[in-house]
Amino acid sequence: MGEAMIRLEAVTKQYDGTTSPAVAGLTLDVPEGEIAVLVGPSGCGKTTTLKMINRLIEPTAGHIVVAGRRVGDMEAHELRRGIGYVIQQIGLFPHRTIAENIATVPKLLGWPRARIEERVDELIEVVHLEAELRDRYPAELSGGQRQRVGVARALAADPPVMLMDEPFGAVDPIIRSALQGQFLELQREVNKTVVLVTHDIDEAIRLGDKVAILNVGGVLEQYGPPEDVLREPANEFVAEFLGRDRGLKRLGLIPIHAVDLEPGPSLAPAATPEEARQVMARHGVDWIAVVDGTRLLGWAPDTALVGAATLGDVALRPFRTVISHDASLKEALDAVISSRSLAAAVLDGDVFLGMLTAETIGREIVQ
Amino acid sequence: MTIDWGWIADHVDDMWSTTVEHLILTVIAVTVGLVLSLVLAIVALRWRRSYAPITWVTGVLYTIPSLALFTFLVPVFGLSLLTAEVALVSYTLLILIRNIVAGVNGVPAHVIEASRGMGMTDRRIFLGVQLPLALPAIIAGVRIAAVTTIGLVTLTVLVGQGGYGVFILRGIRRQFLTEALVGTVLSVLMAVAVDVVLIVVEQWATPWSRRRAAS
Repeated sequence: MGEAMIRLEAVTKQYDGTTSPAVAGLTLDVPEGEIAVLVGPSGCGKTTTLKMINRLIEPTAGHIVVAGRRVGDMEAHELRRGIGYVIQQIGLFPHRTIAENIATVPKLLGWPRARIEERVDELIEVVHLEAELRDRYPAELSGGQRQRVGVARALAADPPVMLMDEPFGAVDPIIRSALQGQFLELQREVNKTVVLVTHDIDEAIRLGDKVAILNVGGVLEQYGPPEDVLREPANEFVAEFLGRDRGLKRLGLIPIHAVDLEPGPSLAPAATPEEARQVMARHGVDWIAVVDGTRLLGWAPDTALVGAATLGDVALRPFRTVISHDASLKEALDAVISSRSLAAAVLDGDVFLGMLTAETIGREIVQ
Repeated sequence: MTIDWGWIADHVDDMWSTTVEHLILTVIAVTVGLVLSLVLAIVALRWRRSYAPITWVTGVLYTIPSLALFTFLVPVFGLSLLTAEVALVSYTLLILIRNIVAGVNGVPAHVIEASRGMGMTDRRIFLGVQLPLALPAIIAGVRIAAVTTIGLVTLTVLVGQGGYGVFILRGIRRQFLTEALVGTVLSVLMAVAVDVVLIVVEQWATPWSRRRAAS
């Protein structure tokens, strides 16, 4: 974890003609290279907070420091050129081509033409846009493509900080999920300090290294890694905002390889039906998995063992409930409860790592 | 009523020079009108409260009968090009200012927000984003202004200027139908031609809206 790249110090915003502040004395640190998600119900001041960072809104009191400098001490437009900005409606220039849109900030900064061209090509690749879209106009693109152009445009001058206001809010749920995944992948490469605003708690949990749960009036209720917030909500408001399925949500954050797997009811091909029956009895199941070294060969029901000398002689059935070790426990739970045996085989590529049972997952929820 | 084709054949050169005069009077009026309207529109956009008075004044100008306006202006500027142009320009202002303001206000708020958020200055946003995106509306205004002006230029003969009005007025005075008709028809043809040219200019100047229609 790095130094605080963005620091909000007792920031308050009260709009003219209102009796209560939109944001009240908010203090918040965003460490370098992390994604901090501001999430909360409407009226919680999350967008106001975001816009105070790049001075689209001026705070009534308090200070905001970006990369060691108070934002109020800089020319607003100079400050903004050093901060990537993505909004829900993207706000692409309809009259400029995709390449020209992406080149906006480098052009403002007076980069030489050749360098701009090079950077545009690079970014088109980085955000997985087709190269032939380069000279198209925004109206000719799909919503998902436009969103990626918006991200490319924000990244163009390689700013250390990115502000994103509901960046995935304007695309349909399937594309949104794909774009979120791509964004996380991208972030692993570019390592920006990101402040992202959303009203969607699932998006916050998925994207945030830290989540800030804000209440109406810009009151910070809790700030921390999503896993901590889910495990230990600071108060009733946070618990309610997270939803009743917060245990399940937390499972979504834990990868399978983070828990201890059991070998389960499995034996080598050389084992005898007698040994198999003992293992089955011990696990209370009526089937046995056959594992040759690290390779999962399949499974057989106890009725198939009659007359066989070893398990290797039995006609095995393929395992239907297999799951990759980098899936989340939530996905694993879904696989397990849909399987007849309430167990899933966990594989790393072809290598059998063990079995995951409803019991194992249950233990993780209780923790 | 017959048309004297012989007269027309004899006056082709005359028609040509009159066309040039008519076009010059029109181009000056629309160009000056556009520049003036841009300035007034910027004022109206910058200080929102000035929009109502600006449209009120230009609206009153627009309603003054053209014949009367020329008459009022002669004592001030004489029988001059200036008189003609002051009147012609005043008729373009309302349409042009309204269209410029509507065009600029029609630019989506999120585009402006993104521009500002990326560090564009207000000046750059106006010149680089709002004005180009307002072009279809502005050119639509220029088309109406140009067509209206071409019709009005036929009256500038009354303040001693050239153009098709010369044919029309002389034709009426001499009760020579052919000449009056030539002036009228040429004026209509010019209006249509200029309108078509401006449509082409708009398509050329706003490639993004053309492609959207195609996709």
